[in-house]
Amino acid sequence: MLEARNLTFSYDDTAPVLDSLSFQIKRGEVVVITGATGSGKSTLAKCLSGFIPKSVQGDFSGSVLIDDSDIAELDIAEVARKVALVQQDPESQICTLQVSDEVAFGPENYATEVEEVSALVDSSLKSVGSEHLYDRATFELSGGEKQRIIIASMTACKPDFLILDEPSSSLDPLGVLQLRQIMKELRDQSIGVIVIEHNLSTVQPVADRVLTLADGRIQPFSTPEPEPPMQTSSRVSVDSISSLVAAKNLKFSYGNRKVIDNVTLGLQGGEIVGLMGNNGSGKTTLLGLLGGLLTPDSGMISFKDYPLGKMKSKEIAHQAATVFQNPNHQIFEKTVWNEQILTLKSLELDTSDMLERCRISLERAGLTGLHQRNPFSLSHGQKRRLNVSSIIVHNPDILLLDEPFIGQDAEGREFIKETVIETVERGGTALIVTHDPSFVRTYCNRVIFMENGSILLDGPPSSVLKQLENIGYKEYADLGVEP
Amino acid sequence: MSSRFGYVKNDSVLHRLNPVLKLLALIILMVGIIVYPSWQLSIALLLIVFIGFRIARVPVRLTKGRTRFVIIFSVLLLLVQVLVTTNGTLIGFIVPQIGDFGPHFPITDFGVVRGLAIASRFLLLIFSSMLFVSVTDPTLLAHSLTRLRIPYRYSFSLVIALRFLPLFDLENHTVRMAQKSRGITPEVTGLRKIIRTVQYTFFPLLVSALSRVDSLSMSMDGRGFGYSTDRSYLRNSSWRTTDTLVAFLTVCFLAVCVLLATGHLPQIAQFI
Repeated sequence: MLEARNLTFSYDDTAPVLDSLSFQIKRGEVVVITGATGSGKSTLAKCLSGFIPKSVQGDFSGSVLIDDSDIAELDIAEVARKVALVQQDPESQICTLQVSDEVAFGPENYATEVEEVSALVDSSLKSVGSEHLYDRATFELSGGEKQRIIIASMTACKPDFLILDEPSSSLDPLGVLQLRQIMKELRDQSIGVIVIEHNLSTVQPVADRVLTLADGRIQPFSTPEPEPPMQTSSRVSVDSISSLVAAKNLKFSYGNRKVIDNVTLGLQGGEIVGLMGNNGSGKTTLLGLLGGLLTPDSGMISFKDYPLGKMKSKEIAHQAATVFQNPNHQIFEKTVWNEQILTLKSLELDTSDMLERCRISLERAGLTGLHQRNPFSLSHGQKRRLNVSSIIVHNPDILLLDEPFIGQDAEGREFIKETVIETVERGGTALIVTHDPSFVRTYCNRVIFMENGSILLDGPPSSVLKQLENIGYKEYADLGVEP
Repeated sequence: MSSRFGYVKNDSVLHRLNPVLKLLALIILMVGIIVYPSWQLSIALLLIVFIGFRIARVPVRLTKGRTRFVIIFSVLLLLVQVLVTTNGTLIGFIVPQIGDFGPHFPITDFGVVRGLAIASRFLLLIFSSMLFVSVTDPTLLAHSLTRLRIPYRYSFSLVIALRFLPLFDLENHTVRMAQKSRGITPEVTGLRKIIRTVQYTFFPLLVSALSRVDSLSMSMDGRGFGYSTDRSYLRNSSWRTTDTLVAFLTVCFLAVCVLLATGHLPQIAQFI
């Protein structure tokens, strides 16, 4: 049994992130821990896996016990043989270039006999359904495949407990189904699994228990109230408004790899369009092309009938705003306030009226009082809200958002949704990459589904999701997060 | 996204060579052309390197931007040497005599030879390193370095560098796209603007790199990295007869370069 007993931890001797927290998990049990952004879920994962207090500085008290033995007496490598931690971003955890090397990495470090290492690699890959990836290069794998390889590399060390931190965040619906299957397999192998997850509906079906982390303590889980669907009247009639973005016969390749293949689409004022598709289907690249950040190999894009190729980059930035997947990639300044006004300054729009709007926008994003903070020190959710807040103050007509809801709690989701709705109510348009059918059903006027760089389906959400079920993409209609 | 740097899996004679031997051959190649800085020798070696790419069946991974950089930098190296080297036989002038104006900037045969030597050495350095990275499996390199009694903590730093090289390349590309989306254009007119341009590129890349380092070190520690002084290896490097032959040829190359540089092979020196 893995037990946390009166765990208290704070990073800077101020408010404790964990406050006299206690809970237990047995081998062969799947426990999901959910909670708001910044509630301390990842901190708890680091405490349970021994990284706190051994590698991370802070004020720690209490104990973590495995079968009544305190892990404080073991070093990290010894703890890791009992409790393994799979972090959120699989890409950052892979340290070799071949799948078999990656899975063998742990057993090799423990100087396991080569024959046994070989057997462990085979069995671990099999348990995550990835035997076929044995010889593959790690950089060629999809997000879901990387996730599975990292899980296999941890289980190859034969831990008793496995902690998965936000495992579904980079997965498409098919990847989520595979993740559920892996969790069942791990439970069958008598491994205790702790899943830390915002997106509860993705893992809840295989959970034995769901717990909530709030105010630094574990609390019983209560199902959140479903949000009322958006009033139909707040959706702008699309037919009456002209086309804002038009793309015709777009093609784009990275080297010899064709990523966008003959895409034609139009985005009209008042539309919220969901962009769906498997990982690697070309969604992010299409966003880059429509935002004028990439140049197509052939084809044409226009904003309000004016060719994008003839516009200067500042003119494009004036009309189109893009939010990238990783919030760190679009933070440039040293303070939250400077970051908030950066776009205004670069577009020379920093009038007193606009600066006042910046203040209001930061307030709505829940970042009041953080004006002088270094934006890189904010939580993931706060950074994402700052990203969104800083790109919309000049009222761009076109919003291009790449998986904006990843890592967001209910408050963060609400802010982003309000921003999108305000933009379309002004006559703008929003194209949002998402894997979330409930968001698509509730808020989108239209859904585009991509496959291998082409548009496979384009139409009203109910019709597209129904067709997806019929053509073998049932998981897109079944899975969903809280809208 | 740009063309990916890094190891290209294949089964060729160059791939099968012992990784440490390939590393030593690369170092000796560089030492050789520094000891005997002949442009003819550098060009000949450059041709051999390109033949190596064909034999190994790996593409020369250069994007348009990087090709432009390599060409412009080589030409600059050549021009600077031509401009600053005034001794030797006069060939002509960059600015000829027009009336009472000029001539300026003499071109000498020695300046051209020196320019060619440095530019070709630069190209050889770029392409031979690319070939080495393309045909060397980093895990086997780590193993063969460990057999030379280099602690595996150090040899793995090479593996990790090669693993993350393409990732940081990709992130650099994403950050530039993010700058463009905010209306930020790189500006170099004035020190403040240069500093700001560097800051806007460097900050996000540094933060991203540091967060990755944090995750990676936790991931490696969490799999027992450093648990003991020895570790086992699922895949091992080997030493074959071909390796002995290549090692012999490499040593011969270095010896010839030293003999040429010290004037002991005048018959060969007149050709290269």
